[in-house]
Amino acid sequence: MTKMRGPYLCVSLGLGLLLLACGTARAPEKPRVALVMKSLANEFFKTMEDGARAHQQAHPADYDLLATGIKDEQDVAGQARLVEQMIAQGVSAIVIAPADSQALVSACKKAQEAGIVVVNIDNKLDAGVLAERKAQVPFVGPDNRKGARAVGAYLARRLKKGDKVAILEGLPNAFNGVERKRGFEEALEAAGIVVAASQSAGWETGKANQVAAALLTEIPDLEALLCANDSMALGAVAARKAAGRSGVRVVGFDNIGAVRELVKDGRILATADQHADRLAVYGIEYALEMLKTGGRPGDRETPVDLITAETLE
Amino acid sequence: MNGRGEMLALLGVLVGLVAAFSLATERFFSLATFRTIANQVPEGVIVAVGLTFVLMIAGIDLSVGSVLGLASAVLGLAILRLGGGLLLGGLLAVLTGLACGALNGLLTVRFAVPSFIVTLGMLEAARGATYLITRSQTQYVGARVETLAEGAVLGLSVPFLAAVGLVALGQFVLSRTVFGRYAVAIGANEEAVRLSGIDPRPVKVAVFMLAGALAGLAGIVNTARLGAADPNAGIGFELQAIAAVVVGGTSLMGGRGSVVGSFLGVLVIAVLASGLAQAGAQEPTKRLVTGVVIAGAAIADALRRRRWSEK
Repeated sequence: MTKMRGPYLCVSLGLGLLLLACGTARAPEKPRVALVMKSLANEFFKTMEDGARAHQQAHPADYDLLATGIKDEQDVAGQARLVEQMIAQGVSAIVIAPADSQALVSACKKAQEAGIVVVNIDNKLDAGVLAERKAQVPFVGPDNRKGARAVGAYLARRLKKGDKVAILEGLPNAFNGVERKRGFEEALEAAGIVVAASQSAGWETGKANQVAAALLTEIPDLEALLCANDSMALGAVAARKAAGRSGVRVVGFDNIGAVRELVKDGRILATADQHADRLAVYGIEYALEMLKTGGRPGDRETPVDLITAETLE
Repeated sequence: MNGRGEMLALLGVLVGLVAAFSLATERFFSLATFRTIANQVPEGVIVAVGLTFVLMIAGIDLSVGSVLGLASAVLGLAILRLGGGLLLGGLLAVLTGLACGALNGLLTVRFAVPSFIVTLGMLEAARGATYLITRSQTQYVGARVETLAEGAVLGLSVPFLAAVGLVALGQFVLSRTVFGRYAVAIGANEEAVRLSGIDPRPVKVAVFMLAGALAGLAGIVNTARLGAADPNAGIGFELQAIAAVVVGGTSLMGGRGSVVGSFLGVLVIAVLASGLAQAGAQEPTKRLVTGVVIAGAAIADALRRRRWSEK
């Protein structure tokens, strides 16, 4: 019996401390904004979160920031739980990058019913589900399709009608991935270029390398690989090198630090920058604005820029 | 043991897959395909050699994918931030793997906890450490590591040849050395080993250290092949590697299996991945087919073994 007491004591002590911490953490009049992120494992979201933290530190008088995220992009239930925790914490606003564009709608609606301002960033909530639940959540973010269209069009200018290209997609259920694919397709179609293959490489460098290598073998006259993010573009570049097919062009999306060198020397022809460091900040600023005015404004589009060797000069 | 029969059955599966994909796609049956597969399997083979020993002692190591990612990150940071060379970076990467493996082994043995849960902890911890030290950023290392993967003899990359060499060495150690025989004996009947006056614990720790160090080595090969250290490198890799080893005829219950079989198991999985991509299969189909083949191969193996033991 005495042996068993140790762990229980630890747990109850820990719980006590936690309660104490919660009690003292209650801030006075400043609005408290909760940033509910997707996977913190992803460089893109990490940059977003860092940007938000930096913004809060620069404006400490305006609001308090509570930044949380889930382990990986598949943990949809975990994210819904986070939203509920934030409701229980009584935050003034929730800025959320939903892990799933449909499943998070009801959690967002619950937050609104509790009188919390909700702003949707990054991954747009499904319009159909929002309408069905009679919910309205403003979306502040970039148009991924437009960005991909710009990248695709830049590539298409270097190809000719009838050329064959392939697309490396993100995970099949990711809305931004689907939008990027559509943007690529629209640009290619407009230029009369043939999409000979389109496969998912799960956002990952290693997986993209494998898929790209297989496609390069199967399609000997492939002219370009369009990748839905830069990590996959890196894998495609390595596959191109291994296959000795230096003529195949590669484009990406996101403009992560690791591709800068490759964009500069043309190994990656183009990518798109949606200013990850500003994305969460845009959402937070919008939420603060809504808190101040009490209005229910509509969506707001944020910039996406085409990045090429020339723009990096 | 009927090792030869098992090898033949596996080769049969491999040939069958190659034949099926050659019929289903235009260009699967080509030198380019086989060269690509040979270029891509080394890290899988290296990890599978280590895992074969772990499964042999009736253990499991779920952390190999995360350790691969961590070693890759360490290599990238050593070169980019510390300005170290490939040699220093490589050394640090292997040591990182070795340390993770040692921790896995020591915790398992010291507290008599199943290796499943210890290495599951390591899977999380090593991945967390990777995100922490890289700030979740992909590092482009480029030519400084790519040289390692570029050399070729008869069109086969140096990492591939090294991996094949490692398979031969691993098989030798497993079947011809005291360490290898102890490992098999521990998996077959640990109590009997202990009763015959041999302490199984140092052998077990050494096996986990081996698996960790090899995962570190695989991290180097992965970085060299891609020219970049992706903090997400190796996610889900442990399941793929375990599947390859089990398809290769190594028992999850310990005491039975071979390194050469694991090598063939890795090839089966690699041919499957490459073939499905060339056939234009979408993600859901790929996962479905891969799952069916893994389960099928394991069941076929079990049935064959039962028939043998009945004779």
